[in-house]
Amino acid sequence: MSDFCISTKNLTKQFGKKLALNNLTLNIPQGGIHAIVGSNGAGKSTLFRLLLGFDTPTSGSCTLLGEQSDQLSARVRGRVGYVNEEHTLPGWMKVAAVKELQQSFYPNWNHDIYNKVIAYFDVDPKQKVAGLSRGERAGFNLSMALAQRPSLLILDEPTLGLDVVARQSFLEALMFAETEEVMTTIYCSHQMEEIERIAEQLIIMEKGRLINNSTPDDFCARVSCWVADWDAIGSILRNKNVDIPGFLSHREIDGQQHILVVDQGDDFGGFLQKQGAHDIAQLPVNLERAVNAFLTANHNKPVAL
Amino acid sequence: MSKPSVLKIKVVTGDIRPIFKQIIDGIRLEIATEKLSPGSKLPSYRGLAMQLMINPNTVAKAYAELSKQGLIESKKGLGLFVSENRQSLSDDEREQKLAKAVTVFINETVHLNYSDDEIVEVIKNKLKEIKTT
Repeated sequence: MSDFCISTKNLTKQFGKKLALNNLTLNIPQGGIHAIVGSNGAGKSTLFRLLLGFDTPTSGSCTLLGEQSDQLSARVRGRVGYVNEEHTLPGWMKVAAVKELQQSFYPNWNHDIYNKVIAYFDVDPKQKVAGLSRGERAGFNLSMALAQRPSLLILDEPTLGLDVVARQSFLEALMFAETEEVMTTIYCSHQMEEIERIAEQLIIMEKGRLINNSTPDDFCARVSCWVADWDAIGSILRNKNVDIPGFLSHREIDGQQHILVVDQGDDFGGFLQKQGAHDIAQLPVNLERAVNAFLTANHNKPVAL
Repeated sequence: MSKPSVLKIKVVTGDIRPIFKQIIDGIRLEIATEKLSPGSKLPSYRGLAMQLMINPNTVAKAYAELSKQGLIESKKGLGLFVSENRQSLSDDEREQKLAKAVTVFINETVHLNYSDDEIVEVIKNKLKEIKTT
Protein backbone atom coordinates (compact mmCIF):
# COMPACT_ATOMS: atom_id res chain seq x y z
CA MET A 1 0.00 0.00 0.00
CA SER A 2 1.37 3.38 -0.99
CA ASP A 3 1.83 6.22 1.50
CA PHE A 4 0.01 8.56 -0.80
CA CYS A 5 -3.63 9.34 -0.38
CA ILE A 6 -3.86 10.22 -4.05
CA SER A 7 -1.34 9.32 -6.69
CA THR A 8 -1.54 9.81 -10.43
CA LYS A 9 1.00 8.82 -13.01
CA ASN A 10 1.11 10.38 -16.50
CA LEU A 11 -2.65 10.70 -16.27
CA THR A 12 -4.20 11.89 -19.53
CA LYS A 13 -7.83 12.38 -20.47
CA GLN A 14 -8.89 13.58 -23.86
CA PHE A 15 -12.35 14.83 -24.86
CA GLY A 16 -12.34 15.10 -28.64
CA LYS A 17 -9.46 17.40 -29.48
CA LYS A 18 -9.27 18.87 -26.00
CA LEU A 19 -6.85 17.54 -23.41
CA ALA A 20 -8.62 17.82 -20.07
CA LEU A 21 -5.67 16.22 -18.27
CA ASN A 22 -2.26 16.34 -19.83
CA ASN A 23 0.25 13.81 -18.52
CA LEU A 24 -0.54 14.70 -14.92
CA THR A 25 1.69 13.19 -12.26
CA LEU A 26 0.55 14.23 -8.81
CA ASN A 27 1.21 12.72 -5.39
CA ILE A 28 -0.70 13.87 -2.36
CA PRO A 29 0.50 12.48 0.99
CA GLN A 30 -1.90 11.57 3.78
CA GLY A 31 -3.11 14.19 6.21
CA GLY A 32 -3.51 17.93 6.05
CA ILE A 33 -5.54 20.31 3.96
CA HIS A 34 -4.47 20.53 0.32
CA ALA A 35 -5.94 23.33 -1.75
CA ILE A 36 -6.32 22.87 -5.48
CA VAL A 37 -6.49 26.03 -7.53
CA GLY A 38 -6.93 26.36 -11.26
CA SER A 39 -8.86 28.40 -13.78
CA ASN A 40 -12.17 27.01 -14.97
CA GLY A 41 -11.41 24.09 -17.23
CA ALA A 42 -8.03 23.37 -15.63
CA GLY A 43 -9.07 19.74 -15.19
CA LYS A 44 -9.97 19.62 -11.49
CA SER A 45 -13.38 18.00 -11.90
CA THR A 46 -12.07 15.57 -14.50
CA LEU A 47 -9.33 14.60 -12.07
CA PHE A 48 -11.91 13.79 -9.37
CA ARG A 49 -14.05 11.82 -11.79
CA LEU A 50 -11.07 9.69 -12.78
CA LEU A 51 -9.89 9.27 -9.20
CA LEU A 52 -13.31 8.08 -8.07
CA GLY A 53 -13.57 5.71 -11.03
CA PHE A 54 -16.56 7.45 -12.68
CA ASP A 55 -14.61 7.77 -15.88
CA THR A 56 -11.59 6.03 -17.40
CA PRO A 57 -8.37 7.77 -18.41
CA THR A 58 -7.20 7.94 -22.02
CA SER A 59 -3.80 6.87 -20.74
CA GLY A 60 -1.86 6.77 -17.50
CA SER A 61 -3.11 5.58 -14.13
CA CYS A 62 -4.25 6.78 -10.76
CA THR A 63 -4.74 5.36 -7.30
CA LEU A 64 -6.96 6.43 -4.42
CA LEU A 65 -6.09 5.36 -0.87
CA GLY A 66 -3.79 2.72 -2.32
CA GLU A 67 -6.25 1.15 -4.78
CA GLN A 68 -6.41 1.52 -8.56
CA SER A 69 -9.19 3.99 -9.32
CA ASP A 70 -10.87 1.74 -11.88
CA GLN A 71 -11.13 -1.12 -9.37
CA LEU A 72 -12.12 0.59 -6.15
CA SER A 73 -13.57 -1.71 -3.51
CA ALA A 74 -16.69 -0.76 -1.58
CA ARG A 75 -14.50 -0.47 1.49
CA VAL A 76 -12.32 2.25 -0.02
CA ARG A 77 -15.33 4.04 -1.52
CA GLY A 78 -16.79 4.16 1.95
CA ARG A 79 -13.70 6.01 3.16
CA VAL A 80 -14.19 8.94 0.78
CA GLY A 81 -16.36 11.94 1.63
CA TYR A 82 -17.47 14.38 -1.03
CA VAL A 83 -19.10 17.79 -0.89
CA ASN A 84 -19.70 19.69 -4.11
CA GLU A 85 -20.71 23.23 -4.90
CA GLU A 86 -24.30 22.40 -5.80
CA HIS A 87 -25.07 20.68 -2.49
CA THR A 88 -27.55 18.52 -4.38
CA LEU A 89 -29.84 16.55 -2.11
CA PRO A 90 -33.35 15.19 -2.67
CA GLY A 91 -35.56 18.19 -1.94
CA TRP A 92 -38.69 16.23 -1.10
CA MET A 93 -37.03 14.30 1.76
CA LYS A 94 -36.82 15.43 5.33
CA VAL A 95 -33.39 16.18 6.80
CA ALA A 96 -33.63 13.28 9.28
CA ALA A 97 -34.54 10.82 6.51
CA VAL A 98 -31.64 11.88 4.30
CA LYS A 99 -29.30 11.55 7.25
CA GLU A 100 -30.57 8.05 8.05
CA LEU A 101 -30.22 6.97 4.45
CA GLN A 102 -26.66 8.25 4.32
CA GLN A 103 -25.83 6.70 7.67
CA SER A 104 -26.93 3.27 6.43
CA PHE A 105 -24.29 3.37 3.67
CA TYR A 106 -21.35 4.17 5.92
CA PRO A 107 -20.24 1.67 8.57
CA ASN A 108 -17.87 4.16 10.23
CA TRP A 109 -20.65 6.68 10.84
CA ASN A 110 -20.18 8.62 14.06
CA HIS A 111 -23.26 10.31 15.41
CA ASP A 112 -21.32 12.48 17.83
CA ILE A 113 -19.44 14.12 15.00
CA TYR A 114 -22.66 14.65 13.06
CA ASN A 115 -24.24 16.42 16.02
CA LYS A 116 -21.20 18.58 16.69
CA VAL A 117 -20.91 19.75 13.10
CA ILE A 118 -24.61 20.28 12.45
CA ALA A 119 -24.70 22.44 15.60
CA TYR A 120 -22.80 25.12 13.66
CA PHE A 121 -25.84 25.44 11.39
CA ASP A 122 -29.49 26.08 12.01
CA VAL A 123 -30.92 22.89 10.56
CA ASP A 124 -34.13 21.34 11.91
CA PRO A 125 -34.28 17.54 11.34
CA LYS A 126 -38.02 17.72 10.64
CA GLN A 127 -37.53 20.25 7.84
CA LYS A 128 -37.67 19.26 4.19
CA VAL A 129 -34.39 19.62 2.33
CA ALA A 130 -36.07 21.91 -0.21
CA GLY A 131 -36.72 24.40 2.58
CA LEU A 132 -33.06 24.74 3.57
CA SER A 133 -31.01 27.73 2.48
CA ARG A 134 -27.88 27.18 0.41
CA GLY A 135 -25.70 27.70 3.49
CA GLU A 136 -27.75 25.24 5.53
CA ARG A 137 -27.54 22.65 2.75
CA ALA A 138 -23.76 23.14 2.65
CA GLY A 139 -23.61 22.64 6.42
CA PHE A 140 -25.84 19.57 6.28
CA ASN A 141 -23.68 18.07 3.55
CA LEU A 142 -20.49 18.77 5.49
CA SER A 143 -21.97 17.26 8.66
CA MET A 144 -22.81 14.06 6.81
CA ALA A 145 -19.43 13.93 5.08
CA LEU A 146 -17.52 14.36 8.37
CA ALA A 147 -19.74 11.90 10.24
CA GLN A 148 -18.69 9.22 7.75
CA ARG A 149 -15.20 9.65 9.25
CA PRO A 150 -13.63 9.66 5.80
CA SER A 151 -9.91 9.14 5.23
CA LEU A 152 -10.23 11.45 2.26
CA LEU A 153 -12.58 14.41 2.10
CA ILE A 154 -13.02 16.11 -1.25
CA LEU A 155 -14.57 19.57 -1.19
CA ASP A 156 -15.29 21.05 -4.59
CA GLU A 157 -15.86 24.79 -4.15
CA PRO A 158 -18.08 24.15 -1.13
CA THR A 159 -18.47 27.80 -0.12
CA LEU A 160 -19.47 29.07 -3.55
CA GLY A 161 -22.48 31.36 -3.22
CA LEU A 162 -22.54 31.23 0.58
CA ASP A 163 -22.96 34.47 2.54
CA VAL A 164 -20.26 35.57 5.01
CA VAL A 165 -21.96 34.02 8.03
CA ALA A 166 -22.54 30.63 6.39
CA ARG A 167 -19.01 30.66 5.00
CA GLN A 168 -17.56 31.38 8.44
CA SER A 169 -19.57 28.54 10.01
CA PHE A 170 -18.54 26.19 7.25
CA LEU A 171 -14.82 26.87 7.66
CA GLU A 172 -15.06 26.75 11.44
CA ALA A 173 -16.86 23.40 11.36
CA LEU A 174 -14.32 22.05 8.89
CA MET A 175 -11.26 23.11 10.87
CA PHE A 176 -12.39 22.79 14.46
CA ALA A 177 -14.96 20.02 14.66
CA GLU A 178 -12.98 17.30 16.39
CA THR A 179 -12.66 14.35 14.09
CA GLU A 180 -9.71 12.54 15.74
CA GLU A 181 -8.68 10.35 12.77
CA VAL A 182 -6.11 11.28 10.14
CA MET A 183 -8.06 12.86 7.36
CA THR A 184 -6.74 14.24 4.11
CA THR A 185 -8.76 17.14 2.81
CA ILE A 186 -8.71 18.25 -0.80
CA TYR A 187 -10.14 21.73 -1.05
CA CYS A 188 -10.95 23.24 -4.42
CA SER A 189 -11.59 26.92 -4.22
CA HIS A 190 -11.09 30.22 -5.96
CA GLN A 191 -11.30 32.18 -2.71
CA MET A 192 -7.70 33.13 -1.99
CA GLU A 193 -8.65 34.44 1.42
CA GLU A 194 -9.94 31.01 2.43
CA ILE A 195 -6.91 29.31 0.98
CA GLU A 196 -4.56 31.54 2.93
CA ARG A 197 -6.37 30.74 6.14
CA ILE A 198 -6.75 26.99 5.80
CA ALA A 199 -4.41 25.43 3.23
CA GLU A 200 -1.21 23.65 4.20
CA GLN A 201 -0.35 22.70 0.64
CA LEU A 202 -1.12 24.58 -2.53
CA ILE A 203 -1.62 22.62 -5.74
CA ILE A 204 -2.01 24.68 -8.89
CA MET A 205 -3.32 23.15 -12.10
CA GLU A 206 -3.46 24.70 -15.50
CA LYS A 207 -4.76 23.22 -18.72
CA GLY A 208 -4.62 19.72 -17.30
CA ARG A 209 -1.07 20.02 -16.05
CA LEU A 210 0.40 20.38 -12.57
CA ILE A 211 2.25 23.65 -12.20
CA ASN A 212 2.81 23.83 -8.44
CA ASN A 213 2.66 21.58 -5.38
CA SER A 214 4.24 23.19 -2.30
CA THR A 215 3.28 25.12 0.82
CA PRO A 216 1.57 28.43 0.01
CA ASP A 217 4.53 30.29 1.56
CA ASP A 218 7.09 28.52 -0.60
CA PHE A 219 4.96 29.19 -3.65
CA CYS A 220 4.66 32.88 -2.80
CA ALA A 221 8.44 33.11 -2.43
CA ARG A 222 8.89 31.83 -5.99
CA VAL A 223 7.19 34.87 -7.48
CA SER A 224 8.69 38.35 -7.37
CA CYS A 225 7.72 41.70 -8.79
CA TRP A 226 10.28 43.98 -10.37
CA VAL A 227 9.64 47.63 -11.04
CA ALA A 228 11.85 49.44 -13.52
CA ASP A 229 12.02 52.25 -15.98
CA TRP A 230 12.30 50.12 -19.09
CA ASP A 231 10.86 51.43 -22.33
CA ALA A 232 12.26 48.57 -24.39
CA ILE A 233 9.87 46.01 -22.89
CA GLY A 234 7.08 46.94 -25.30
CA SER A 235 9.09 46.02 -28.36
CA ILE A 236 10.62 42.96 -26.66
CA LEU A 237 7.18 41.52 -25.92
CA ARG A 238 5.94 42.36 -29.42
CA ASN A 239 8.93 41.01 -31.32
CA LYS A 240 9.84 38.26 -28.84
CA ASN A 241 13.49 38.91 -29.68
CA VAL A 242 14.69 38.66 -26.06
CA ASP A 243 13.76 35.86 -23.71
CA ILE A 244 12.78 37.32 -20.32
CA PRO A 245 13.59 34.54 -17.84
CA GLY A 246 10.63 33.35 -15.76
CA PHE A 247 8.31 35.96 -17.27
CA LEU A 248 4.72 35.78 -16.03
CA SER A 249 3.06 39.09 -16.66
CA HIS A 250 3.68 42.78 -17.00
CA ARG A 251 1.81 46.04 -16.73
CA GLU A 252 2.67 49.68 -16.96
CA ILE A 253 1.79 51.97 -14.07
CA ASP A 254 2.70 55.69 -14.24
CA GLY A 255 5.33 55.00 -16.88
CA GLN A 256 7.01 52.34 -14.73
CA GLN A 257 7.06 48.71 -15.82
CA HIS A 258 5.88 46.20 -13.22
CA ILE A 259 7.11 42.76 -14.18
CA LEU A 260 6.15 39.55 -12.41
CA VAL A 261 8.60 36.68 -12.74
CA VAL A 262 8.93 33.21 -11.27
CA ASP A 263 12.01 31.48 -9.84
CA GLN A 264 14.32 34.45 -10.38
CA GLY A 265 16.90 35.51 -7.81
CA ASP A 266 18.55 38.87 -7.35
CA ASP A 267 20.40 38.38 -10.62
CA PHE A 268 17.20 39.24 -12.47
CA GLY A 269 18.05 42.85 -11.57
CA GLY A 270 21.34 42.39 -13.44
CA PHE A 271 19.44 41.05 -16.43
CA LEU A 272 17.17 44.11 -16.46
CA GLN A 273 20.17 46.41 -16.25
CA LYS A 274 21.84 44.68 -19.16
CA GLN A 275 18.67 45.19 -21.18
CA GLY A 276 18.85 48.92 -20.57
CA ALA A 277 16.41 49.25 -17.66
CA HIS A 278 17.11 51.67 -14.83
CA ASP A 279 15.67 52.63 -11.41
CA ILE A 280 15.22 48.94 -10.70
CA ALA A 281 13.46 47.84 -7.51
CA GLN A 282 12.16 44.52 -6.30
CA LEU A 283 8.86 44.24 -4.44
CA PRO A 284 7.43 41.26 -2.57
CA VAL A 285 4.02 39.95 -3.64
CA ASN A 286 1.14 38.43 -1.71
CA LEU A 287 -0.34 35.01 -2.35
CA GLU A 288 -3.31 36.18 -4.36
CA ARG A 289 -1.14 38.16 -6.75
CA ALA A 290 1.31 35.28 -7.13
CA VAL A 291 -1.47 32.83 -7.97
CA ASN A 292 -3.17 35.24 -10.35
CA ALA A 293 0.09 35.89 -12.15
CA PHE A 294 0.56 32.17 -12.63
CA LEU A 295 -2.95 31.59 -13.89
CA THR A 296 -3.05 34.57 -16.24
CA ALA A 297 0.42 33.93 -17.69
CA ASN A 298 -0.84 31.36 -20.19
CA HIS A 299 -4.45 32.38 -20.34
CA ASN A 300 -5.74 32.69 -23.88
CA LYS A 301 -5.85 36.30 -25.01
CA PRO A 302 -7.17 37.83 -28.20
CA VAL A 303 -4.22 38.01 -30.59
CA ALA A 304 -4.43 41.77 -31.06
CA LEU A 305 -3.49 42.46 -27.43
CA MET B 1 -4.99 24.86 35.48
CA SER B 2 -4.25 28.52 34.79
CA LYS B 3 -5.99 30.18 31.89
CA PRO B 4 -3.93 31.39 28.95
CA SER B 5 -3.35 35.10 28.36
CA VAL B 6 -5.41 36.81 25.72
CA LEU B 7 -3.29 37.58 22.69
CA LYS B 8 -4.32 40.84 21.11
CA ILE B 9 -2.81 40.07 17.76
CA LYS B 10 -4.39 40.25 14.35
CA VAL B 11 -3.72 38.53 11.08
CA VAL B 12 -4.83 39.73 7.69
CA THR B 13 -5.06 37.90 4.40
CA GLY B 14 -3.63 39.49 1.28
CA ASP B 15 -0.53 40.65 3.18
CA ILE B 16 2.92 40.03 1.77
CA ARG B 17 3.82 38.25 5.01
CA PRO B 18 2.42 34.74 5.33
CA ILE B 19 0.04 34.27 8.26
CA PHE B 20 2.50 32.28 10.41
CA LYS B 21 5.00 35.14 10.04
CA GLN B 22 2.34 37.64 11.10
CA ILE B 23 1.72 35.59 14.25
CA ILE B 24 5.45 35.47 15.05
CA ASP B 25 5.80 39.24 14.59
CA GLY B 26 2.66 39.86 16.64
CA ILE B 27 3.76 37.74 19.60
CA ARG B 28 7.31 39.12 19.51
CA LEU B 29 5.91 42.62 19.73
CA GLU B 30 3.64 41.65 22.64
CA ILE B 31 6.67 40.27 24.48
CA ALA B 32 8.94 43.21 23.62
CA THR B 33 6.34 45.73 24.82
CA GLU B 34 5.73 43.60 27.93
CA LYS B 35 2.04 43.15 27.27
CA LEU B 36 3.00 39.51 27.62
CA SER B 37 5.23 39.06 30.65
CA PRO B 38 7.70 36.22 31.22
CA GLY B 39 5.88 33.13 32.49
CA SER B 40 2.52 33.99 30.90
CA LYS B 41 0.69 31.10 29.37
CA LEU B 42 -0.01 31.20 25.65
CA PRO B 43 -3.30 30.10 24.07
CA SER B 44 -3.44 26.53 22.71
CA TYR B 45 -2.93 25.90 18.99
CA ARG B 46 -6.61 25.32 18.62
CA GLY B 47 -7.58 28.30 20.78
CA LEU B 48 -5.51 30.80 18.85
CA ALA B 49 -6.51 29.21 15.53
CA MET B 50 -10.18 29.64 16.42
CA GLN B 51 -9.60 33.22 17.51
CA LEU B 52 -7.86 34.07 14.23
CA MET B 53 -9.95 31.70 12.03
CA ILE B 54 -6.95 29.91 10.61
CA ASN B 55 -5.63 26.36 10.38
CA PRO B 56 -4.30 25.15 13.79
CA ASN B 57 -1.19 23.82 12.04
CA THR B 58 -0.29 27.39 11.07
CA VAL B 59 -0.30 28.35 14.76
CA ALA B 60 1.84 25.29 15.50
CA LYS B 61 4.34 26.42 12.89
CA ALA B 62 4.55 29.92 14.39
CA TYR B 63 4.93 28.54 17.96
CA ALA B 64 7.66 26.16 16.78
CA GLU B 65 9.61 29.06 15.32
CA LEU B 66 9.20 31.13 18.51
CA SER B 67 10.39 28.15 20.58
CA LYS B 68 13.43 27.83 18.35
CA GLN B 69 14.20 31.49 18.96
CA GLY B 70 13.90 30.84 22.70
CA LEU B 71 11.09 33.32 23.22
CA ILE B 72 8.61 30.71 24.39
CA GLU B 73 9.00 27.30 25.96
CA SER B 74 6.76 24.32 26.52
CA LYS B 75 6.22 22.79 29.93
CA LYS B 76 5.24 19.18 29.69
CA GLY B 77 1.50 18.71 30.08
CA LEU B 78 0.93 22.35 30.96
CA GLY B 79 1.23 24.16 27.65
CA LEU B 80 3.39 26.91 26.22
CA PHE B 81 4.77 29.84 28.19
CA VAL B 82 6.74 33.00 27.55
CA SER B 83 10.32 32.15 28.54
CA GLU B 84 11.58 33.42 31.88
CA ASN B 85 15.20 33.63 30.87
CA ARG B 86 15.44 34.21 27.21
CA GLN B 87 18.01 32.24 25.38
CA SER B 88 20.77 34.60 24.22
CA LEU B 89 21.43 34.94 20.53
CA SER B 90 24.64 33.67 18.99
CA ASP B 91 27.47 36.20 18.47
CA ASP B 92 26.82 36.19 14.73
CA GLU B 93 23.14 36.89 15.18
CA ARG B 94 23.83 39.70 17.64
CA GLU B 95 26.30 41.30 15.24
CA GLN B 96 23.83 41.06 12.37
CA LYS B 97 20.99 42.55 14.38
CA LEU B 98 23.14 45.42 15.58
CA ALA B 99 24.41 46.16 12.09
CA LYS B 100 20.87 46.19 10.72
CA ALA B 101 19.60 48.52 13.43
CA VAL B 102 22.57 50.88 12.98
CA THR B 103 21.96 51.08 9.23
CA VAL B 104 18.34 52.11 9.81
CA PHE B 105 19.45 54.63 12.45
CA ILE B 106 22.09 56.19 10.21
CA ASN B 107 19.69 56.47 7.29
CA GLU B 108 17.30 58.39 9.50
CA THR B 109 19.86 60.74 11.05
CA VAL B 110 22.57 61.41 8.48
CA HIS B 111 20.67 64.26 6.82
CA LEU B 112 19.98 66.10 10.07
CA ASN B 113 23.34 67.89 10.13
CA TYR B 114 24.56 66.82 13.56
CA SER B 115 28.24 66.20 14.14
CA ASP B 116 29.35 62.61 14.82
CA ASP B 117 30.20 63.51 18.40
CA GLU B 118 26.80 65.02 19.00
CA ILE B 119 25.05 61.90 17.74
CA VAL B 120 27.23 59.59 19.84
CA GLU B 121 26.55 61.75 22.88
CA VAL B 122 22.77 61.47 22.42
CA ILE B 123 22.99 57.70 22.13
CA LYS B 124 25.16 57.41 25.23
CA ASN B 125 22.73 59.49 27.26
CA LYS B 126 19.77 57.48 26.06
CA LEU B 127 21.46 54.19 26.97
CA LYS B 128 22.33 55.54 30.40
CA GLU B 129 18.72 56.58 30.90
CA ILE B 130 17.41 53.08 30.06
CA LYS B 131 19.88 51.43 32.45
CA THR B 132 19.07 53.67 35.42
CA THR B 133 15.29 53.31 35.17
